[in-house]
Amino acid sequence: MNKLNYDGLLVLEQPFIKVPLEQLKKTVKVSQKELDKEFTKSNSTVSDLSNKIKQGKIGVSDASIALEGMVGRLQSLKRKLNDTKDEEAMYVSRSKQRLSHLNELTHIPSANSEAYTQWSRVRLDRILVDYMLREGFSETALHLAKAESIEVEAYVDVELFSQARRVEQALQRFSCTEALRWCNDNKSNLRKMQSTFEFNLRLQEFIELIRAGKKSESIAYAKKNLNSFQENHMKEIQQAMTLLAFQPDTRCLPYKKLYDKSRWDALIAQFRADNFALNSLTSQPLLTVTLQAGLSALKTPMCSQPDNRNINCPVCSPDTLGLLAQNLPLSHHVNSTIVCRLSGEIIDEDNPPMSLPNGYVYSLKALEEMSSKNNGQIKCPRTEKVYDFKDLKKVFIS
Amino acid sequence: MDSISKEFSKVEKKQQEVADSTIDNIDKIINEIQEAQNRLETDPMSVSAILKELELKFKELTTKTLESHKELQKVIIRYEKIVDKKWKNDITIASNPEVFANKEKVLNTTVALHFIREGRFELANTFIREAQLDIPNSIQTQFHEMYQILGDIKLEKLELAIEWARSKSKELEKRGSTLEFELHRQRYVQLLIDNNREEALVYAKKKFPLFHSRHIFDIKRLMCALAFSTRLSTSPYKDLLSPDLWIELQNKFMRDFCNLLGMSSESPLYISVTVGATALPTILKMATIMKEKKNEWSQQDELPVEVPLPDYMRYHSIFACPVSKEQSTEKNPPMMLPCGHVICHESLNKLSRGNSRFKCPYCPHESIANQALRIYF
Repeated sequence: MNKLNYDGLLVLEQPFIKVPLEQLKKTVKVSQKELDKEFTKSNSTVSDLSNKIKQGKIGVSDASIALEGMVGRLQSLKRKLNDTKDEEAMYVSRSKQRLSHLNELTHIPSANSEAYTQWSRVRLDRILVDYMLREGFSETALHLAKAESIEVEAYVDVELFSQARRVEQALQRFSCTEALRWCNDNKSNLRKMQSTFEFNLRLQEFIELIRAGKKSESIAYAKKNLNSFQENHMKEIQQAMTLLAFQPDTRCLPYKKLYDKSRWDALIAQFRADNFALNSLTSQPLLTVTLQAGLSALKTPMCSQPDNRNINCPVCSPDTLGLLAQNLPLSHHVNSTIVCRLSGEIIDEDNPPMSLPNGYVYSLKALEEMSSKNNGQIKCPRTEKVYDFKDLKKVFIS
Repeated sequence: MDSISKEFSKVEKKQQEVADSTIDNIDKIINEIQEAQNRLETDPMSVSAILKELELKFKELTTKTLESHKELQKVIIRYEKIVDKKWKNDITIASNPEVFANKEKVLNTTVALHFIREGRFELANTFIREAQLDIPNSIQTQFHEMYQILGDIKLEKLELAIEWARSKSKELEKRGSTLEFELHRQRYVQLLIDNNREEALVYAKKKFPLFHSRHIFDIKRLMCALAFSTRLSTSPYKDLLSPDLWIELQNKFMRDFCNLLGMSSESPLYISVTVGATALPTILKMATIMKEKKNEWSQQDELPVEVPLPDYMRYHSIFACPVSKEQSTEKNPPMMLPCGHVICHESLNKLSRGNSRFKCPYCPHESIANQALRIYF
């Protein structure tokens, strides 16, 4: 049981590897696009010049000026590519560091080793940074990411969340501008996901115009921005247009709902979900994923019984983890495991269970130690009753 | 992992190569253009030829650049494929947001306590402020004391630790802790190493008698070591110099300190998350199967399969009846037959059919039900 199941432990690391990969893909795509665009344009400029010169439409000096312009554009392309090159290199090196961190794990021989403890502590810090970033505790997240070894910073995705934070904050201020820019940056991927986020943003801007009483502006807005969504959202567009006939204080339900400010919260939630999916981040924080699995695996019927509390057991802390484990299933066991209440050790053939006459069971070793210090007498720590060592009876657990 | 790393190293190489060559090629293109411009100035008559030449050069270089860039994308996609093969499943189906609903404060408090007990006080305070938590200062003060003493032990300074252990002497002894004696032992050995034999002797006389009943054997050895104080490292007592003793002392001190505070020696959050990472594959598999049947794993009373735990993370006895295979409960407790074999109450009732004589299912011994003893693990 002390052997590590590497493949099993790696299951959790999906976003760890996939996030920088997504970012790398995105950056490479951006530079590809830039190259494509600029090269096509320049190519046609050159052939155009060639043709015009041939036909005598322009002179040599005109050609020279056009070429000068091209040089300028190519130089700015080069600057851009230098930036994306650095960005790409950053994601590559981040992926590399993360992969080698996971590789470290596969060289740790056992769960008992100090190396595994160290590794697991870094994992917990990573998981906590992820949690802090998602919950918006950015100061704590930064503190946590910086306080540890420099590597931890490469192990977490601070910028990703701070970008998202800006969009969310703008939405909280009832502004769609940042969110729409984000949609534009991720257009093709959002389309692939069949995201309705952009439509909902446009719809919201439209609603806000009506709320502000700008009727003609709102109609112009709908013409310009809602039109393109007709294929998938015709019904919603129709409903939204009907809104023109209703005042913001309407009691008519579907329109009251459209005016509801809580739509902004829904937009934030949708942005989060889409942004997580887009970047291969899990929809729930890793902290709750691992905690729910862990607490359930540790939970026993005894954890809720004050008499059977073990201070080392996480589920036995009634105000913290015990409360979190409240609605989780109990662990399942097919075989008996007896833990000695005196020594905390697991009872086995070498250290068999012994029963006192009152039915309380402890391990032989612990009882021997106690009796050797107390002239052959045993005091049951749970009932305070005193017995002779010779009154013990061996218990057989099959 | 190996195949992933291998595929990734290709990405790494290609990215470097392509990024450099792309910028190189753009430079080349710019050079070509500038050269063409120069030639236009010196030889404006052959403008057509110059432009034609430039056009061809331009085509060649841009095609080459775009192609190499596409290759980079291909390499990345190959890497992505192998990554996706390794991580096929969505792990969030193993978590149900409902379970922790309205418990954010509890979760945050748990995390803050984790920081405190790890001795990361500044971090804890940042978090307590940011998450607006209410955690009594006394907890911080206590752990502050612990880390101060622990820091001293790490520097092999024992005064604070000894003072603390003395003030908690009774409680420590009640728990069967040997910490106080071990601290004195370590101090005594320090004096021996410094070749301060007289002082060591005075120290031993003053401190050791208090512990004679529990540690007489150790005390004997320590006193014998006095005779070898000039060459302790080659004596039969060289184990007293082992640096492991200091590590052990640190761990023992931490454990005892936490236990006296009614807390576990290891951070409960750390334990839970570590167990969780181990348990995740099992839970994930189970959640996937249950989801197909429109069930939620977290809504069950008991997990349908066993999640193996390492021994040191077993905190409670589990008795599974060998007859019925069910876990014992308050209503169905474990019962010991006179022969020492244990079965659960329900199985006992079934076997004895009321109160008739029956044979133990595991040995030839016969008994009646009311001879069985309820036992407590």
